[in-house]
Amino acid sequence: MNRWTETPDPNAADILDHTSDFRLSLAVTQQPDGADQAWWSVLIELADASIDMFETAARTFSADLLIPVAYDPADRARVFARQPVAIYARLPLIEALNKRSNGYHVVALQLGAITPAKYLDHAAVGPDLSAIAVSADTVVMAVVDDGIAIAHDLLRKDPEHSRVEHATVFEALPVAGGPCSVGRALGKAEIDEILTRSTFNALLDEDVFYRDTGVVDWRARSVSPVARQASHGTLVAGLAAGHDMQAGCDIRPVICAALPARLVEDTTGLDSLPLLYLAFHILLKQARRFQLPDGNCAPVIFNFSFGNTGGPHDGTGLFSTLFEHYFGPQGALARDQQKAWLTLPAGNINLARLHAVARGRKPTQLSLSVQPDDRTPSLVQIWMPSDPSQTHPGLVSVQVTTPAGQSGSITSKPGQSTSLVDDEGVEIARLACQYQGGATQRALMTLSLSPTAHLAGQPPLAPAGNWSLEISTANIAHDQQVHVWIRRDETLPGTRSGGRQAWFSNSDYERFDPFGLPLAVDPPLTDCPIRRSGSLSGFACGASPLVVAAFSEREARLSGYSAAGPLAARAPGSAAARSGPDLAALGDDSHLMRGVRGAGSRSGSSARMSGTSVAAPRVARYAAEQIRDWHGETADWSRWAVEHAPFHLKGGDDVSRTGAGGVRIDV
Amino acid sequence: MSIFPENAYNAYNAYNAYNAYNAYNAYNAYNAYGAPGNQSALLSGAFLSTHDGITGAQLDPVGQVCPGAANDVRNLPRLAAGVRAALYQAELGPTVDITFETDGLQPQAVLWRRATESGRRRAFVFDRMVEMSAPTVDQFQTQMALVSGYAQIRPDRSAEILTQVSAPLPFYTTIGFIDPARTPYTIELIHAALGFATAVTQRMKYALAAKRPVLFSPQIQPMIATPTHGSLPSGHATEAFLMARLIWKLLKASGVRQYTENEYWGEMLMRLAARIATNRTVAGVHFPVDSVAGAILGCTLAEHVASQCCGGEWSSASFEGTNFDAHHDFDWHQIYRVKEDRMESQARSGRGIWMQSAQQRCAPDFETPAVLSWLWGKALDEWQDISLDAG
Repeated sequence: MNRWTETPDPNAADILDHTSDFRLSLAVTQQPDGADQAWWSVLIELADASIDMFETAARTFSADLLIPVAYDPADRARVFARQPVAIYARLPLIEALNKRSNGYHVVALQLGAITPAKYLDHAAVGPDLSAIAVSADTVVMAVVDDGIAIAHDLLRKDPEHSRVEHATVFEALPVAGGPCSVGRALGKAEIDEILTRSTFNALLDEDVFYRDTGVVDWRARSVSPVARQASHGTLVAGLAAGHDMQAGCDIRPVICAALPARLVEDTTGLDSLPLLYLAFHILLKQARRFQLPDGNCAPVIFNFSFGNTGGPHDGTGLFSTLFEHYFGPQGALARDQQKAWLTLPAGNINLARLHAVARGRKPTQLSLSVQPDDRTPSLVQIWMPSDPSQTHPGLVSVQVTTPAGQSGSITSKPGQSTSLVDDEGVEIARLACQYQGGATQRALMTLSLSPTAHLAGQPPLAPAGNWSLEISTANIAHDQQVHVWIRRDETLPGTRSGGRQAWFSNSDYERFDPFGLPLAVDPPLTDCPIRRSGSLSGFACGASPLVVAAFSEREARLSGYSAAGPLAARAPGSAAARSGPDLAALGDDSHLMRGVRGAGSRSGSSARMSGTSVAAPRVARYAAEQIRDWHGETADWSRWAVEHAPFHLKGGDDVSRTGAGGVRIDV
Repeated sequence: MSIFPENAYNAYNAYNAYNAYNAYNAYNAYNAYGAPGNQSALLSGAFLSTHDGITGAQLDPVGQVCPGAANDVRNLPRLAAGVRAALYQAELGPTVDITFETDGLQPQAVLWRRATESGRRRAFVFDRMVEMSAPTVDQFQTQMALVSGYAQIRPDRSAEILTQVSAPLPFYTTIGFIDPARTPYTIELIHAALGFATAVTQRMKYALAAKRPVLFSPQIQPMIATPTHGSLPSGHATEAFLMARLIWKLLKASGVRQYTENEYWGEMLMRLAARIATNRTVAGVHFPVDSVAGAILGCTLAEHVASQCCGGEWSSASFEGTNFDAHHDFDWHQIYRVKEDRMESQARSGRGIWMQSAQQRCAPDFETPAVLSWLWGKALDEWQDISLDAG
């Protein structure tokens, strides 16, 4: 019978990030022989140290560390107060880093995903960063997404010449000694050369092109979405930067990075943040190559059409600070004076019941429905109110009860943890508390559950069913709140990860209005802790990005899934970074004809996709026309855009959902 | 992130394919009209009573009847399509023979082409037309990685795979304007070639007895029933490339401007053939190397059928499976050149030469069977342009 007990690791109180630790121990339990050999992407945050200093400190683990060549000698030498760095590492090093007492300058750590060794190149030499002279009206379009069909005619200026100046494909076999530590980096010259030799009788054979660029590799266990009829990255890139090939557009060069598809073998879950940081670092460097006639760098618009439910949702999370890290006043790239905007989707989880709020004198009860046949872990984050004190008194207590009725509890005092173990003493769930310092300054409780299924029935397996969480907030101030988030864990169409999404299943959640329409905002008098408000993507909580909600054109209403602000409250005296999205753009033609048409994976084909994912690149396209002459903040620009190209939305005055309002952008 | 494949569009594609199939079925019904089994009992009874009612007394001989034109193609248009189909098979079938040799490392199937006839006892000489040996089991095992990879796009391709289970002629009607009303003899020609190729392919498969992917792993789980015959050469690849090349030959021979000024139609026909062949790997019933062998056989047979119809050149080809790099995928560009309508003379891997082909001329005294020449002429007529600007 399962029982709650002390976390098996005697040094549990010293663990820096419990979710990462839980996932690592899951990997060890599932594959005891191979766990040491697997390479993981990891995001570490260094305090008052350079990358070189970190590498020197960790030299005893040099065989288990790969620092991507994207960090050039200047990057490696710079010291920041806090600096996130994406690395590749193996288990012995990650375990050493994931300690509060580590001696490697690491103050935060986030585990990414297992990366097959065949995609890593330890002998990479660094990318070509020579200047590219461009005309004065050039704006660089940077897209980070999953499979991007770089040979699509919308991204070419003639049959054998691409508009893509750089593409990093993270899931492609590297060319030995190439310019990229992971995957393959393609420059325009190489892309054009492969375009030419993939063209037969004046027709480009795209199957041949993607085979020769390594984008589609049928022998790999995972296959790029570009191999399918519709691919997210292609449609997004087409909306943001696609132009009719016959037009021969040369003022919107494209740089892009294609993130890997989720690995079938990786059953410990996935966090894309480390690779995302690396992708941005690579593209920021590439973007600086484009030189205007006056010697300045050409402006650049980034679009990243992914969402996330993790993070503190107050603008201090690792992704929220990414842009500030590079472009803020003390940023890594500020000296170059390159104007850069970032468009992000607001997120699609407004109706997904992944967000809850606990507050008040009475304990908050949450029913967590954990799915059977879920072959990846289910992860919950419970973010405490801001707590800049030194003592972290642990005023909130959380009790977790399994479907079979066994309860375990801890308080929000950092360092506390309790684990659910099976008859063999194997850990199958962990409730733990850690403190997130830096700008965040909150305690974070994590509930990590093992998969509920394994094809071979191999433990550890957590029971599926209704788990319950009881969150006692009687000891915190009446205006303070605890935010609870379930991490995304679902199988996207066309992928085989085996994840199934857990959700909050409280019976008092009202889904529909009296006419049967899904309620897009929380009913005014509801006591239900499950909240649509505050469902904004964890990536989209920073101040500077343009955050885009989605509307449905025919009904002239915001799409029901489009996520909403406000953000979680920050420390007293700190202003919220934003109140919700900045503006709303087309995400659906109508409620019935969901999505918009865009580029399919092959030239000339089209596909339909829905979501704030497709609204954001539309704004990116429009922003590219304006960025050069706009000298204010992006938030001001979004208000200007709404006035300049308005799309009237019914009920569009809900700032936390629509921001400045709807904008009509023809593509 | 949300991804919604364009389902409505998929459905539209399937609908098109379905329509094309209807047309194809209509053509079959037309064939069946003349078949003996189609007689109606009611109609026969009515004929009898009508005969009884109006015939009257027996006439004297009514006059002279001229003898039929023996072995004359002028009869062909008056024959039921099914009867003509039997004639085509009677002409094409004897043009080849298949033997099985076990001299080398791997058993080899040899397709012979009948060359010349001599004497009243009809002694024939045969030329080697296709020599084919299978890869080793280890090579097939290596190819399983590709089969597994392709399995991941089954949801994308399922409509194609299901509608291509039987000979996928309807897909070719989307590139060449083929329709029972417009191009009935082109359809007859293609079916004559397909009927001939089926027997040849099955005999080659039987000779080589290559095992199917489902026998290499329980995790392939093909999305359609695995055919009971051997895996290599792929029958679908053979048929697909046979059709593509035959249609391309007709288009080129038509002299019509859009078909002759560039190679777009030919390129598209070959891409279609490759996609049909690859879909069988996606489905989990074929290895990519099966498509390689099938494409070589299909291209060779297309040239053979054309040469039986029109004379001129034919191709000889060989596929040596053991020399094919099993890590490699199927790539038809290594086998055939659209512009010249020629098979590549050679393709090699690090293991050696896996394909060779050469153009051969028919013997000077070779006479094309009149039935087949007639069919080709009728089919070719269907591709002549009708335009005020013609010429």
